[in-house]
Amino acid sequence: MNSPWPLLITLTYVVIAMVIGLRAKAGRSMNSLEEWGVAGRSMGPVTLYLLIAAGSVSAYTFMGAPGWAYSKGVAVFYVAIYLAYLALVAWYFGPKVWQFGEQFGHVTQASAISDRYQSPALGALAALVMAIGSVAYAVLQTIGSAYILFVMSGGLIPIWLGVVLVLACIAVYLYVSGQRAIGRTNAFQGVLMLIVAWAVGLWAVHSATGGLSFAGVFERIQTEHSEFLTLPGAGGDMSFSFWTTSIIVSMFSFMPPVWTQWMSASSARTIRRSATWLPTYYVVILPMVVVGFIGIFSLPELARADTVVLEYAMQHLPVVLVGLLGAGTLAASMSSSEPFIHSVSLSLSKDVIQPVLKLSDAVTGKLARLLILPIMFLVIAPLAIAEPGSLVMILLVGLGFASQVMPAFIGMFFWPRASRLGVMAGIVVGFLITTAFTILWPHPMGIHAGFWGLMLNLPVFIVISLMTPSTNAEVVERFFRIAAPRGLTRLGRKGG
Amino acid sequence: MRRFLVLPTSRAGWGLLIAFVALVLAGTWPVIGLVNRATLVMGLPLMVVWSYLVIFACVVVMLIGNRIVERDDHE
Repeated sequence: MNSPWPLLITLTYVVIAMVIGLRAKAGRSMNSLEEWGVAGRSMGPVTLYLLIAAGSVSAYTFMGAPGWAYSKGVAVFYVAIYLAYLALVAWYFGPKVWQFGEQFGHVTQASAISDRYQSPALGALAALVMAIGSVAYAVLQTIGSAYILFVMSGGLIPIWLGVVLVLACIAVYLYVSGQRAIGRTNAFQGVLMLIVAWAVGLWAVHSATGGLSFAGVFERIQTEHSEFLTLPGAGGDMSFSFWTTSIIVSMFSFMPPVWTQWMSASSARTIRRSATWLPTYYVVILPMVVVGFIGIFSLPELARADTVVLEYAMQHLPVVLVGLLGAGTLAASMSSSEPFIHSVSLSLSKDVIQPVLKLSDAVTGKLARLLILPIMFLVIAPLAIAEPGSLVMILLVGLGFASQVMPAFIGMFFWPRASRLGVMAGIVVGFLITTAFTILWPHPMGIHAGFWGLMLNLPVFIVISLMTPSTNAEVVERFFRIAAPRGLTRLGRKGG
Repeated sequence: MRRFLVLPTSRAGWGLLIAFVALVLAGTWPVIGLVNRATLVMGLPLMVVWSYLVIFACVVVMLIGNRIVERDDHE
């Protein structure tokens, strides 16, 4: 690709994102956890909608999802369904998490766990292990960003330089404006992604079929490759059981940045309003996936499935659209990596370093801002440049673990009797099973490893909770005044 | 305390819980098996149309939920 336009358009996006991120501070001091961590709990419904939507639509939507459509077919739509279910989760749990944060001063998921079970050790354990999955996720998104810069520059920006450039941009506005920068930049990135996805998708359909209807694409697929239109898909590996258990496990993976986003809302009602409309954003996935389907008959010999949209765009689309695709894909990866980097720094400072070193809140606030620099340049950058083969495995185990923290949330929202030891035992057993069924014996019987983990985790959690002392009654009552404002139910009868 | 649980406390609350469960069932097995056919509806694969029906049904259920929560005036 010889034109300078794709790189210029992509770099223009980066400059705009930086300006928006830096201006988000608007003269406020960012040295407190409340301000840098959760934007002073001030975000309105539109910003929150785009913050959560853009955060959940990663580079996967622009690269991985079309790649899945190209190699497997409609199986890719499990992602759109679980994202919609995550909105249901946000609708129910988000307002309660916001109230916990507002009334008890939590700024992280782990501090809520630590408070509910009166166990800083459990909070620190949750923070540390969630950090593994979060860092792996941020590394994968950074690799995606660097790859886009590499392609858009025609190879002039090598991967290592792309990694450093992208992280440096994020570091500057994240340090300066914290969660406010994430909110504002995600809002911009969310709108950009929606426009780019539909522009690229419709142009690609027009170039492939001469019209703007997706029907031409799918009629051809139906005639020539109908196996792409049903499960288990063209690869034969997306069984009903894997589809179902992947959705359930993903739905119950309460990742820490999502909690931070909920806690950043201006009110409980704001979260509910944003969550209500959140599924509408996932129309962004459809046009990108359609390009993946076009690739089935127009790029049959592709070596890497996840490059299908980029390859098709470079061969068939005008350079301006190629540049916008670069900007949109970069926006997708940056908007997803920022919240994870921010949340790891926030949680390690608040839930691990502060209790160990007994730091004041003021010092911890400053530390959280500074900690993004070593996390980005000493951990994420080397890993992204080295691209270790085990990274996807670390991510899968990390995400599998995220769902294993479920007992902590059952005890927070549904079952007052849950004990600290019950939660710990459930998490450890669930994590071991998930790890074994991810690495040693991947997804036995076509069932997601995280689902197997939950199947053992939950009984262990219940039994050990019933055998060990519950948390202090005053603390439990404090939490359940919010989780169950109309009281608890005792085996079908109304109780206290 | 061991037998206490958080459950809906009104008919509307139970209705909402049932709607949430129905939505999850609609997007998973065995319901998804019923739409697993290589047919097109309005030019799109049946699985894609069904997926987006489930996605937009989530919006409708949450809109109804908002009315219930705000009518009952509790968070």
